[in-house]
Amino acid sequence: MHKSLLVFTFGFFCGLNLYSQSQEYNLSEEDRLYTKVENVKILTTRGEMLSLSQMYVREPFVLALVFTRCIGVCSPLISNFKEKISELNPKEKFKILVVSFDTADTKADLDNYAKLFNLNQNENWVFATTGQIPELIESVGFHPEWDSSRRQFEHDALLVGINGNGYIVKKLIGIRNIRAVESMIKEISNEFVISYPLPHNNSILSCFTYDPITGKKKPKFGLFLLLVPAIGTVILLVIISRQKKKKISENY
Amino acid sequence: MNISLKRITSTWIITILLLFFTAIILGITMRFNQGKVISIDDGKFYGIMTTHGMTMIAIWAVAGMVGVHYLLSRYINVGAGLSKFAFIMTVIGVAMFYVTTFIGHFHAGWTFLYPLPFKNSFAWESWATPMFFWSLTVLGVGWLVWSVGLLVAIFKKYSFSQTFAWQHLTKKDPEVQTPPLVLISAISLVGIVLCLLTAVVILVLSFAEIYSDGKFVNDPLLMKNLIYFFGHTIANESLYLGLGIVYELMPEISGRPKFKTTWYVALGWNFTLLFVLTAYFHHLYMDFVQPLGLQMFGQFASYFASIPSAVVTIISIIVLLYGHRIKWTITNLLFFIGITGWIIGGVGALIDSTISNNIFLHNTLWVPAHFHTYNALGNVLLILGFFTWVANEFSGSQTDPMRKLKLALLIIGGFGFVLMFYCGGAESVPRRYSVYPAEFTRAALFASAAAWFAIIYLLGMSLIFVDIFKKCIRVYSSSHSDSSVA
Repeated sequence: MHKSLLVFTFGFFCGLNLYSQSQEYNLSEEDRLYTKVENVKILTTRGEMLSLSQMYVREPFVLALVFTRCIGVCSPLISNFKEKISELNPKEKFKILVVSFDTADTKADLDNYAKLFNLNQNENWVFATTGQIPELIESVGFHPEWDSSRRQFEHDALLVGINGNGYIVKKLIGIRNIRAVESMIKEISNEFVISYPLPHNNSILSCFTYDPITGKKKPKFGLFLLLVPAIGTVILLVIISRQKKKKISENY
Repeated sequence: MNISLKRITSTWIITILLLFFTAIILGITMRFNQGKVISIDDGKFYGIMTTHGMTMIAIWAVAGMVGVHYLLSRYINVGAGLSKFAFIMTVIGVAMFYVTTFIGHFHAGWTFLYPLPFKNSFAWESWATPMFFWSLTVLGVGWLVWSVGLLVAIFKKYSFSQTFAWQHLTKKDPEVQTPPLVLISAISLVGIVLCLLTAVVILVLSFAEIYSDGKFVNDPLLMKNLIYFFGHTIANESLYLGLGIVYELMPEISGRPKFKTTWYVALGWNFTLLFVLTAYFHHLYMDFVQPLGLQMFGQFASYFASIPSAVVTIISIIVLLYGHRIKWTITNLLFFIGITGWIIGGVGALIDSTISNNIFLHNTLWVPAHFHTYNALGNVLLILGFFTWVANEFSGSQTDPMRKLKLALLIIGGFGFVLMFYCGGAESVPRRYSVYPAEFTRAALFASAAAWFAIIYLLGMSLIFVDIFKKCIRVYSSSHSDSSVA
């Protein structure tokens, strides 16, 4: 009993910690935002040699940077993104471009990697290598570091949303929820993405309560404050005009 | 006319015009920076932008008050004390405000939209935000006392319904006639009092956040509603004060019978008060949390607010001028051009307030385009008309040297200046950028051209100022109260 309580408590606080971390606003997601992605050449697993501009003029795309030897976050990043896309089933037309940032990766490695996720036949997914890795990762603000002891790269799980003009319009760092993925797809498709700071706990005078899950809002006490100046003015006018009446009666 | 009122009016005029020159020079500096003719750092640019915007809004609101105060003394008993008190408070408030921007480097814009003034850990001095709000408090107290004082003076002579000319709605020729100046002044003063009471709420909420050490935090949507109600309404009421002056002086100067309040004048202006108070919702179209009903109401209120005042004024001016020999002076020419600028700017505003257009024009240069049109070429010219007229009154001199040159400089400079804003807006160039992104290939060209046009406008304004200044200072050497000096 005590053991299970201990495990539950530990799990609860770990979960809380993870939750609070996921709520943190990561400034690096703004790095290179609204700048153009470098127009590098890529070699796809289907054997096509393309430049990124050739890709984005056809359709916007989400760029995922991975390496096939990764024993860390690369596979969860791809599988989670695939799952979220499947759940969303978006109406927007876009591609997902998975590019290796490891010079050791070959076209065959990427092909095998695509097969791991059962994506090698999926037209919306493009797996590729490039000979211009430094230019590409610099232009999107991605900074992997080689750890020679582990023979692994230390890197962020990064998805970069690129619109039809080649601009980076959204970056997601880490494994993110379905709403974040949805907003990225809307951003690259030039659709309006609503965002609003939720009322602070210390903010007792908000106009509305807003539920971000349902999108519903209800009026709140703060709304009354908008009427206070109008009520004040009416009272003031009544007082002034009454004084006038008093004066007339005194005069007469 | 009370000599004390003449002197304080003269002091106001000289002060307003000096501040106006300062603000124009700051504006020209911004446009040259955007045009890449000069280079100033972003902090300084936004400090200049804040100072420019706040100065312009403040001086042209009080300029209208100065005008109606002076002219209302023809109909009601109103002394110079209120105006003097407001002047002292304005000088103190403006001085405090300039300290916050020039020494404290405060640069959250004249709209000081929440929470920007509170995000100052690195951008400006920590004392600058509270001092900015204290400067607004000083200005607000001065103007609130002045506005309420004028309303009290009006209500001493006219009853509530007479003040708002309701007797004209039911009778063609009522026993008590409400002069258009009294009606329009009262409508505008009620709006200004409402704005200033809103400013009190904004200031209380802001001070609560500043002095509660983070225990009390404001709601951005509530603050945005309050700030735009205050800002949008006071800018419009200032214009209406200018129109009140035109109603009073235009016929007199043009050698035509005085305007009378009719049922449609009374109805139009009463509706204007009602609708102008709710038109501000068009500033919040991008705030999706605002209920859709309020957004739609904002669009229709914007239409309805402009129609009564604009249509009534246009009809009145056409009836006054059409088919009659008019004695044109610089004053009624300034009134006429000012009305034209107000209408052009108003049409630009209506285009922007339409939701389907606002999606494209929101926060582009279209916004400064229309508000500069109805201010620099509308309200400013209306008030300047009053200044030239009252300066002649003070001096007894009707001389009007270089009239054509002055007007040519104002028209070429003014319309050229706003045209560059409209061109930028049509190309979706964003407003409030210190330097434009390279994608806007012609934005810098428009900006530098606008700065040169503004210099032409400034030259015209300088010629007018010299004439007004020479005439106004004569009032200080006069001891007579009922006649002009010369």
